[in-house]
Formats: sequence, structure tokens, C-alpha cells
Amino acid sequence: MSAGSIERPWQRWAIRIGVFIAMLILVLPGAWVVLTAFRPNIEVLARPAVWIPQNLTLHNFLGIFGRLDTQQGLPVANYFINSMVISVTSTVVAIAVGMMGGYAFARYRFRGKAALFLGFMLSRTVPGVALSLPLFILWSRLGLIDTSVGLIIVYMAVNIPFTIWLTDGFFRQIPVDLSEAAQIDGCTRWQAFWKVEFPLARSGLASAAIFAFLTSWNEYALASQLTRTTASKTMPVGLMDFTAQFTVDWTGMSAMAVLIIVPALVLTFIVQKHLIAGLTFGGVKG
Amino acid sequence: MNFLRLPRATPYLLLLPAIVVILGVVLVPLVVSFWTSFTPYNLTKPATLFQFVGLRNYERLLGNADFWWAFGRTILFITIALNLEMVLGLGLALLINKVTWGQRTLRTIMMFPMMFSPILVGFQFKYLFNDAVGLVNNALFDLGIIQQPIPWLVDGSLAPLTIILAEVWMSTSVFAILLLAGLMALPKEPIEAAKVDGCNPWQVFRHITLPFLMPFVYIAMTIRSLDVARAYDMVRIMTNGGPAGRTELLWTLMTRTGYNNSQMGMANAMGYVSILTSILFTYYFYRKLVSARAFMGGAQ
Amino acid sequence: MAEVRLEKVVKRYGKLEIVHGIDLAVAHNEFVVLVGPSGCGKSTTLRMIAGLEEISGGTIRIGDRVVNELPPRSRNISMVFQSYALYPHMSVRENLGFGLKIAGQGEDEIKKRVDEAAEILGLGELLDRLPQHLSGGQRQRVAMGRAIVRHPDVFLFDEPLSNLDAKLRGQMRVEIKKLHQRVKTTVIYVTHDQVEAMTLADRIVIMRDGHVEQVGTPSEVFERPVNTFVAGFIGSPPMNLIEAVVTTGKARLADGIEVPLPPDARVSEGLPIVLGFRPESFAPRGHSLHADARALSLSRTVVIAEPLGTETILFTTLGGKDVQGKMLAPRPVSPGEQLEFTLDLDRLHVFDHASGVTLR
Repeated sequence: MSAGSIERPWQRWAIRIGVFIAMLILVLPGAWVVLTAFRPNIEVLARPAVWIPQNLTLHNFLGIFGRLDTQQGLPVANYFINSMVISVTSTVVAIAVGMMGGYAFARYRFRGKAALFLGFMLSRTVPGVALSLPLFILWSRLGLIDTSVGLIIVYMAVNIPFTIWLTDGFFRQIPVDLSEAAQIDGCTRWQAFWKVEFPLARSGLASAAIFAFLTSWNEYALASQLTRTTASKTMPVGLMDFTAQFTVDWTGMSAMAVLIIVPALVLTFIVQKHLIAGLTFGGVKG
Repeated sequence: MNFLRLPRATPYLLLLPAIVVILGVVLVPLVVSFWTSFTPYNLTKPATLFQFVGLRNYERLLGNADFWWAFGRTILFITIALNLEMVLGLGLALLINKVTWGQRTLRTIMMFPMMFSPILVGFQFKYLFNDAVGLVNNALFDLGIIQQPIPWLVDGSLAPLTIILAEVWMSTSVFAILLLAGLMALPKEPIEAAKVDGCNPWQVFRHITLPFLMPFVYIAMTIRSLDVARAYDMVRIMTNGGPAGRTELLWTLMTRTGYNNSQMGMANAMGYVSILTSILFTYYFYRKLVSARAFMGGAQ
Repeated sequence: MAEVRLEKVVKRYGKLEIVHGIDLAVAHNEFVVLVGPSGCGKSTTLRMIAGLEEISGGTIRIGDRVVNELPPRSRNISMVFQSYALYPHMSVRENLGFGLKIAGQGEDEIKKRVDEAAEILGLGELLDRLPQHLSGGQRQRVAMGRAIVRHPDVFLFDEPLSNLDAKLRGQMRVEIKKLHQRVKTTVIYVTHDQVEAMTLADRIVIMRDGHVEQVGTPSEVFERPVNTFVAGFIGSPPMNLIEAVVTTGKARLADGIEVPLPPDARVSEGLPIVLGFRPESFAPRGHSLHADARALSLSRTVVIAEPLGTETILFTTLGGKDVQGKMLAPRPVSPGEQLEFTLDLDRLHVFDHASGVTLR
């Protein structure tokens, strides 16, 4: 714990080795799955285990998209499109609605403000699994079961509270003076928002959008109950189906896992700085 | 209608869409599930939705050993997982904080598990710990440590362990990242003052660093308590409650009762127990967070 | 022509009243400073004039229009904020031209007026920079530039210099004064710093607790403060204020010293009063400002001496209170030294003890 300056060589090495092991544990499981996705099934199942990959192939990806005769294809393309449509739509709407709410909390004083804020946050504590039961009952009656719209609405509700929480923080960081200066410069309140406050909050909103997208993209508990067929099933639900249908097709499942992780990975790396900022918000603001 | 044109109506108008969505998708369903928890509602018999039976579901739950086992296991699971994650997260944060090179890269790697869908984490660990083709058994085998494959997910006492391992892998990063942020925000002066006052490194950590980090610990706890139920996805794909109910958590029992056995009334009663548990956990850590912040208030 | 008239202007937040019916008339092209301690309602008043706060009662007129219900953009005013409120995502040029662009002015007109403002304020080289790359003083100038490009009827300044260090503040004070002489416009300027008020204002409005205490030119409020609050607020170091009782036409201090009262003081026998005199009216013999004034000699012991170069501030006691005197053309003074002070009797202030109101 001695801060930096005096460090013996063995201490430095101990730290390096510790960091290396920690990083290995964090990376290895995912990397192994990714590697498996590109390996032939025989090699994966071989005994004794083959540690160094002998050949890499796209065979597994072709397989899950039904491009091979030998294997029954799963409607993975449908799942992927469903996931994209549902996640993107629900994210866009949740950000728009959540941003309005966050702005109201950041900029206005009004009756019932604290109670409303608490209400939104409490709604976030309800576990998705528990919510899926009554939603299943209601959505069946409304004909929303197994529709993209049904799931989009649910994901909006899941993402709105967190978006409000984040955007409230982002707008608070923008001095009120700026909006006021813009109004004195001749803007309406609406213009002042779009020309001054919105551009300044843009990067924050982008990270809120990534959060929302990831939540929808990765969600399983609700999707598994509210979807039935290829009309609305998402990737996580599809992955679960795989276990039921092909209990031993590890390479095919790994290929599907890669398809789930890659978009999430790309998006996260784009906004990683904001991700940390977003997470620590609760700590920084009183 | 004139109220809508007043300036003081603006915040309500801005919040209206959000309120409508939350009402429609969270509050109304909660009312429905509250109602159904007082009925013997069975998916196959729609008429039962309007048959009021009072607290019968709750009474049966309280007398049901399976429920109590699942409930107790859930609490134990949350407690063990959160504590392990905190300790490991703290260790990881302290370690990375000592590193002077490539800290950005390390932080990026640290966030790696956070972008994994829980169902994906479940699959990944199911694969790694598979008795026949899993990396873990293969490695132990080739290193000559074991002769027979270890049935990680089939053995009644190893399965819960494996699930906790998966959960810890998935969520330790949340703690590590928040605590690292805390360490980086740590003011230098109190530490230097403590050193001048004659504290040894452990005392500095115990009396200066740790109290300063506590708010960050509780933020992480609060965030985590919001999504502990994600563990449902993992358990669902890894063991689905098995073997012989040894990994059955409140959430898996609930969906089994509701969807497989169609006993929606009973399942919703369990749902309410799980909702209250979640709220209670969140509330507990949030209060801790507030008081830790107030405690640090003078120094920050 | 843009006079600004406030009539019985009130600001309430719920039940809490912050500003209690202010009356004020600002003439065309006049430079008026609202000054007072924090929380006195000066900023709230300015923000009501700007249209950033709702007016709870009374009327505000700019020119011949009642502006109570008008949004800020329709009042033809401009404002310099304490934080400058420069748009961080726009260059200096865009900051300056933003208001004109919103108003739908043509490119050429915007460029002409931005260049003109940049020329007045010496912002020429900075036009393409972002605010974050400017120093405090430069930001301050951009904020003023943004205010003048629009040729508003009224300039509002909300503590514009309080984020600058002392030296820069002095420079900017001069620049603001120059600017006003060059761009003749009505100005309403809020500050808590009485030095700024004294140096900049045509007229000063001294406020306390949501009330106007006194309105007047700098010399009026300095020489004839209407009450002890104004007397203590204006001037540095502040006026010495000592309790006394009127005894046989003189002010009798707690330590028994009797000070002759000015002939025009409206006092009666036995009245508790507060006697006020500025440090420059209380100096060692031979070092006072008005050597020819009627004076009372008092022998005092110096507690602390603060040499400031051209003058030395001397701390001593009188009437049981700590008082300060100002020694012009100073010679070295050491603590404990006994000096012969003269109290200038022509510049005594007399206030009623109960109400604090002046009795002259």
C-alpha cells in the first residue's frame, strides 16, 4: 500500500503476475468460446483434448444460418434481425422519452418531484422475471404476445428509469446559465434546448443509448416468456433453444454466442469512457 | 385545458410519456399480479382469475418446504456472490491502481465481462465446466490432477459452486471499476497527513483509504442489487434448478410454477416475495450509501 | 429611448417573499449599479428585468412597454453572466453571432457586426478559438462582446467580475467604463463589491433583504448615507459606528468622552444615537485629509498599524469599541504608541440608535 515511490523489484513482479492472472481469468472464458466458434466440431470433441487449434473454419456460422445440408439450420438470421429491430427501436424511444423526463428533473422544480423520481427508480428494482408473469397474462389478452411491438414496449419501460437517472445527471452538469443566455440571445426555451443544451448533452445521451441497447440486446427473462416463434424471438432466446435442440453442438452455440457478443463488444468499446462516467455518476453527484 | 399552457405544467408534460409507459408496463402488471396472487389463477382455466381466495397462496407458500429452500438459497446466493465480488473487486482495483503502465487497456479488459449477456455467461460456463469437453476438466486431466472427469454441473454440491463462480466472473468488474474510480479520486493530502502522523501502510489503508471507498462500495452494491435477478438467466441455461433442485432459486421456482405448471396465482405470490426482497436489498444498500456519504461529507 | 421603470416589483417563492415591492427608474443611457450583500435580492431583481424569473407583483417597463409577460427574447436586452455562460461548443465568432443568427440576420450583417464588436473589445485573434481555450479575462470580453453585437436597449450585468482575480478585476472595471462611454446604452449592473459600484455607477441602488435602502450618486451615498447599513456598506475601510447618548447637546460615549454634535443634527436630550465617522476623518494630528476642519483632539493608543504605502490604517479604541483611523503621508508607527488623533467634526454622521436612520 505504500504509494508508488518506493517499490522493490519483487513487489513489482508480484503485481505484474497478479495483474496477468486476473486479466487471464477475465479474458480466457470468452476467448475460448470465440475460438470454439471457429473450430471444427471434431477437434473440439477430441480426446485427449487438442489445445492448439489445427485449423479454423467458418463452417459453424454457415451451419447455424442453415447454409449446410448436413445440419438443420436454425432461424438465426430471423433472431438476429428481431434482436436488432427490437433493441434499436426500444432504445431510440426510451432515450427520447427518458431524456424528456431527465430534463424535467434536472431543470424544473415541481410538486411531487422527489416522489416521482423515487417511483421511477423503484420501478427499476422489480426483477424482470417477476414482471414477466403478469405481463404474460396481460399481453396474451392484448394480443401482444409474440410480437416485436410487445417486446419493444416492455424494453422501453425497462430502460426509461435508468435513462432518466443518467440524463438527469448529464443535464445537471450543464450550467443553467447557458440556456438562459440563449434565451436572452433571442431563443425560445425550445430553441435554447436544441441549439445549446442538447449538443452539450449529446455524448452523455450516446452512452445512455448504449446502456439501453445493451440491456435490450442481452435480455432473456422477459423475452423468453413473451415471444413464441421466429416472428419475435431474440438472440438470447434463440441461444437457449439451441441447448434444447442440440445438447452437444458446442461449436454451433459458440458461433451464435459470437454473434451476440460482437455488436455488444463494438458498442461498448466505442463509449467505454462514458460507460465508466455513467456508472460512477451516483457517486459523484450528491 | 388551460393548465397545460402554464409554465408550471411543462415538467409534467415532459414526464407524461415516461409516466404512461411505466404505468402501463410496470404498475398495471404489478396490480394484476397482486390481484392474481389472491386467486387460484391457472392458465388453463381462465375463469379462476376472478375467484378470490384471500391469503391462501401465501399460506401455502409459507408451509412449503421447497419454497423456503429456494428462498433461503437465493438469499445465501446473493450474500455470498455480492461479498465475493466486493472482496475480489477491491483486490483487483488495488492491483490495477498500482500498475503504472497501460492502465487504460487494463480497464477496458476489465469491462469485458460486463458486456456479456447473462445467458451468454451461463452458456460459457456451462461449456467450460462441461464434464466431457470442458476446458477445466481437459486442463485438469492433461495436467494429471484428475483421472476421472469432475461432473461440475451434475454434482449436487459442485453445481451451486459453479454457478457462483459464473456470477462472480460476470459481476466482479462492476465493483472493480467503481472502486478503481474511487481510488483515483482519493485525495492525496489525508494519506500524506496520515503518513506524517506515523501510520504504517496497513493503517493508512484501514483508516483513510477504506472509509473513503465505502460510498463507492455501496454504489456498486446498490447497482448490483438492482439486477441480481439476472442470475435467473444464468441458472436457467446452466442447470435450470437441477440437479435435484440443488440450484433452485426463487426465480426459477417461480417461472416453473407459473409457466410449466400454469399456477399463475401461486407464481405471482412468489413474484411478490421476490420483488419485496429486491426492493429491500436495494433500499438497504441505498441507506448505507447515504449514511456513508454523510459520514465522509466533512472530508470530501 | 430605453428607460427601465420598476413599480412595486415583488418576487415570491411560494409563501417566501424575496423582493418586497421595489420602485426604481433608470434613465436612458444611465449606468445604474445594484449593490448589496448576498441574499439581498439584487440578482433576483435583475433576473426579473431580464425575464428569467417570473414577476410575482408590480410592473416592469422597458421603454414604453410593460414587459411582465414577455419572454427574455422579446425584451431586447442582453446580459453578461457571472459565469460568462459562453456556449462551450461554439467558437468565439459563433458565440458572438449566435443571437443575430437566431434573429435571422444575413451572413454579411452578422460578420460585419461581429467584427465590429471584436474590434471594440480587441478579440480579433481569438475569433476562431473555443471558449475553453481562453483565459478568464478573454472569456469576460467575449461575454461582453456577445452582449453588444445585438445593439440592445438595455445591458444587464450579473456580477460579471467576481470570477476574476483582483488585478484583472481592476482592468476589466476600466474596460467596462470605457465600453459604456463608447456604446451609449442603459446599463443595470449587479455586484456585491461596493468599490465596483462606486467606480462604475452614475447612480447606486443599495439593497438589503429585498428592500431598497438608498438610491443616489456615488458621492451622495458616500457623503450622506441615509442609515447605518448604507454607512457601513459603502467605503473601505468601513465607517466607524459607535453608540452614544445625547447629553447636554453632545454625544457622550461609553468611556465618558464627549463629542460635540453638528448643529443640524435633529437630536433631543437623552436620545440613544450611533455616531459615525470614516477612518479618513480620524487621523493623527498633521496627517488628516481636511486639515482646516473643526476637530476634536483625542489621545489614543495604537493597537495595530497596517502600512499600505501612501497611507497607514491605525487600529485603536474609542467609546469602548475598536475603531480605525487613516494616516495620510504616514511615518512609521509601532503598536502601543500613544498618538494625538483629531476627529473631524464637520464630517460626523449621526443616526438614531433604534432605527438606524440618519438624524442630519
